[in-house]
Amino acid sequence: MTKRHKLEIIKDILEIVQNNRKIKHTPLLRKSNLSSLRFKEYYTELLEKDLIKEIGTNRKETILTNKGQRFLEKYITIVNFIKEFEL
Amino acid sequence: MQQLSQAALSTELIYAFLIIIVSLMIYFATKELYDLTKHKGIQYFRLAFLFFAVAFFFRSFIKIFVFFLEIPKEYGLLINQLLGTGTVFLFMYFSALAIFYLVYSVKHKKWNNKNLTIIIFQLLAIIIGVIVIISKNPYVILAINLLFLTSILFVIFTTHSQRKNKHKSLYVIYILLFVFWILNIFNILIPNFLQFYHLLIYLASISIFLSILYKVLRNIGIK
Repeated sequence: MTKRHKLEIIKDILEIVQNNRKIKHTPLLRKSNLSSLRFKEYYTELLEKDLIKEIGTNRKETILTNKGQRFLEKYITIVNFIKEFEL
Repeated sequence: MQQLSQAALSTELIYAFLIIIVSLMIYFATKELYDLTKHKGIQYFRLAFLFFAVAFFFRSFIKIFVFFLEIPKEYGLLINQLLGTGTVFLFMYFSALAIFYLVYSVKHKKWNNKNLTIIIFQLLAIIIGVIVIISKNPYVILAINLLFLTSILFVIFTTHSQRKNKHKSLYVIYILLFVFWILNIFNILIPNFLQFYHLLIYLASISIFLSILYKVLRNIGIK
């Protein structure tokens, strides 16, 4: 299995959230195929970038934001653009 | 500096306007991709074209300044000189930054210390600007810019040879862009330099910017 690049990992996490509509922290960690430490880093980054958000007060669930939805729609475009200009 | 005819000034302003518009189109067309990803490569790529637009703004300012050189004598020679020198400095500063950022957009993964790299770019751009305004000798300006161009071409060639997924057309466009950029600098700082080829340089420069814009729009799905 080839190593996933950062944008691919973000896309995978967002797709898991999208497919589940809302998902708790533990199953998201399990499905993302990342170590706890790396998952935490990515999760925090996605929250900071406003691609996902947490709902509920006690046992928090994660949902996709509009921006996260837009990221998934634009993912192929983003990857192609980065490849084309070797960024 | 030599005086410009009204037709030459009009040509200059149309040329600068086109480059500014194309550069800003590239900057704004890639805004969403950057907002969604905060990708450093996209950020430096966008900033390069923003700096190209700013540099060309000051370039047209220099041309207007040259055109009206005789008029503002009543405002005093000092203000006149400060305005001219300041504009040349800003043009050189933003030109150099634009080129540095475009190179950095393809090299940022290799050059680890991002803050230090940005500081070095700023310092080099300031040094280039200061040398150009202090030195009145066209040969010094020529030498600095040729050194600048050689270094950039070296970085581009080494990057190209190391990449697995090579896009030859991209590097050809970047190299042409840098060469024409340097010719543009000679054109503005040494007015007699290649004066018979001004129009050719302008057309080639616009074509290069348009080809980059086309690549950008094609990739982000705007046609």
